[in-house]
Amino acid sequence: MTNPTIELDGLEVQLGNRTILHGLTGVLKSRAIGLLGPNGAGKSTLINTLLGFHTPSKGSARMLGLDSHTSGKALRSLVGYMPENDAFISKMSGVRFVRYMAEISGLPPDQAMERAHEAFVYVGLGEARYRPVGTYSLGMKQLAKLAQAIAHGPKVLILDEPTNGMDPPARKRLIELIREIREASDICLLLSSHLLRDVEETCDEVLILRNGKIASICNLVEERRANRKFLELETLGAEATFTSSLESLGCECAVFSNGRIKVVMPDSVEIREVFKVAADRGVQIRRMNHRRDSLEDIFLNAMEQTGAADGRL
Amino acid sequence: MAVYKRRYNSYTGSLTPEWSRFFVLTRYAFADLFKSRSFVLLLILSIIPCLFFAGYIFIANNKTVQLLMQLRSADLFTVESQYFMIILTVQNQAAFLLNCWVGPVLISGDLTNGALPLFLSRPFTRTGYVLGKLAVLGLLLSVVTWVPCLLLFSLQSGLASNGWLWSHLWMIVPIVLCSAIWILMLSLISLAVSAWVKLRIVATGVIFITFFIPAGFGEMFNAIMGTYWGRLLNFSYMFRLIVASGFRDRSGLLGSLGLEEIPVPAAWGALISVCLLSLVILNARLRARETVRG
Repeated sequence: MTNPTIELDGLEVQLGNRTILHGLTGVLKSRAIGLLGPNGAGKSTLINTLLGFHTPSKGSARMLGLDSHTSGKALRSLVGYMPENDAFISKMSGVRFVRYMAEISGLPPDQAMERAHEAFVYVGLGEARYRPVGTYSLGMKQLAKLAQAIAHGPKVLILDEPTNGMDPPARKRLIELIREIREASDICLLLSSHLLRDVEETCDEVLILRNGKIASICNLVEERRANRKFLELETLGAEATFTSSLESLGCECAVFSNGRIKVVMPDSVEIREVFKVAADRGVQIRRMNHRRDSLEDIFLNAMEQTGAADGRL
Repeated sequence: MAVYKRRYNSYTGSLTPEWSRFFVLTRYAFADLFKSRSFVLLLILSIIPCLFFAGYIFIANNKTVQLLMQLRSADLFTVESQYFMIILTVQNQAAFLLNCWVGPVLISGDLTNGALPLFLSRPFTRTGYVLGKLAVLGLLLSVVTWVPCLLLFSLQSGLASNGWLWSHLWMIVPIVLCSAIWILMLSLISLAVSAWVKLRIVATGVIFITFFIPAGFGEMFNAIMGTYWGRLLNFSYMFRLIVASGFRDRSGLLGSLGLEEIPVPAAWGALISVCLLSLVILNARLRARETVRG
């Protein structure tokens, strides 16, 4: 049986006299885990604890079965870390910086050099690899941080707010890269962000933190599978026969004033069948909003929940 | 992840031994240092006095040259323990200047843009990090202190008459030990300063201040309290005391020394305490940064 990616067992972390993480307990088994939460929720502290930067005051945190405190070194040998803040040596050229980091991870100098070049070309900075990192734009610095995190071929990639400060095309490119890395190998991914789209596009499971407590753990794959499809319709001329026809297809309908209808569709029903019924009944569909229960809903629900105050699900 | 394939692959090759990885830091630091002409010039200048010392040893042991230069043996300073004490003192002052140039940039460059978490998120400890940086100064300062001193000692042994080596072999211990404590103290002080001060010029100033301000306070303390224990804060004085005691010198060649006042173990204790204090500062400063919001 393989170890869960992350196991938290009553994890409490104090910085100074302040408790940042309050007895977190949970098991995350997916290969791509998103860490969500508003600013100050404790995402970075949890990552730093997993990396062994902070010692838990109570409980434990394990990644791939290795305790972050007692097996910190062994755990860090599996990790590639892209921090949230600026992290580079400004006077070094990009490729030398990545080579340096790869050598610290234990790669022999020639291998480190080769992997540094490959990583730089892979993240799309091939042309800029001989320039000092200090002269890079914000987006390039993010990519350089990603390059140093993957150059030594880690088993776990920890990305803390990877798309911070990136323009939309650069963000899209970075998200594509992250997905590509995930799909091209058996690497595990832990991505912390307050941007729901980043997490939704790259992760299978989400840990939502609020005020240092677990607000929710949600398996997005199962959630997507279990979610039913919702249609919000604004119609003209809809009568009871329209809704009964939809119900005969297996839909559930709720009728509101001014011709507004909410339809819950089973997976077997396609939207074109709704249009066909409307055409048969002479109903005009003025507006249609088709959506699944998004991560945003899950996140907002988790934020509103009060039952998570004890730090457990 | 070959460049032409543009595809991610994990690394499956061999790894270097964990114990040797601290030396990566040393290697990269040396590579950066030797790119600087100022550093190379300073290093050469630090070694030049040794050439004069070597020349003097040659002249002192060569009657022909003495005759050619119309020198009498009686005019020459004999190459004995006092001579090596002077060499050691001069070279250790050169080491101080070299340390002031090199030390301030060693850690600050990593801290300025938050690179430290990148080091510590790998199978690499803070001890390894400090060792790697310490090795830079340790090797560099050794090259200008005890290494040339021992080479000059070997030169003198080779040129002097039989028996000189055996009667002076004991000098190897003070040469190495005195240099070691001086190098360790200088290195740790400058690393501690480098961990706190980002600007090189300010850091260099702080290193100078570390040596002169406490000495001033010590003298004030002595004047007020009517004691001599304040001299423990004068690190250069403590070092000279250790050198003089190591070379069994009571002649006051290195200036008036309170050999009868401050016990030599106390001088050692003072320098070791400075090393420990620097380690405490490094321990407080070298941590992966954490941002706590809200």
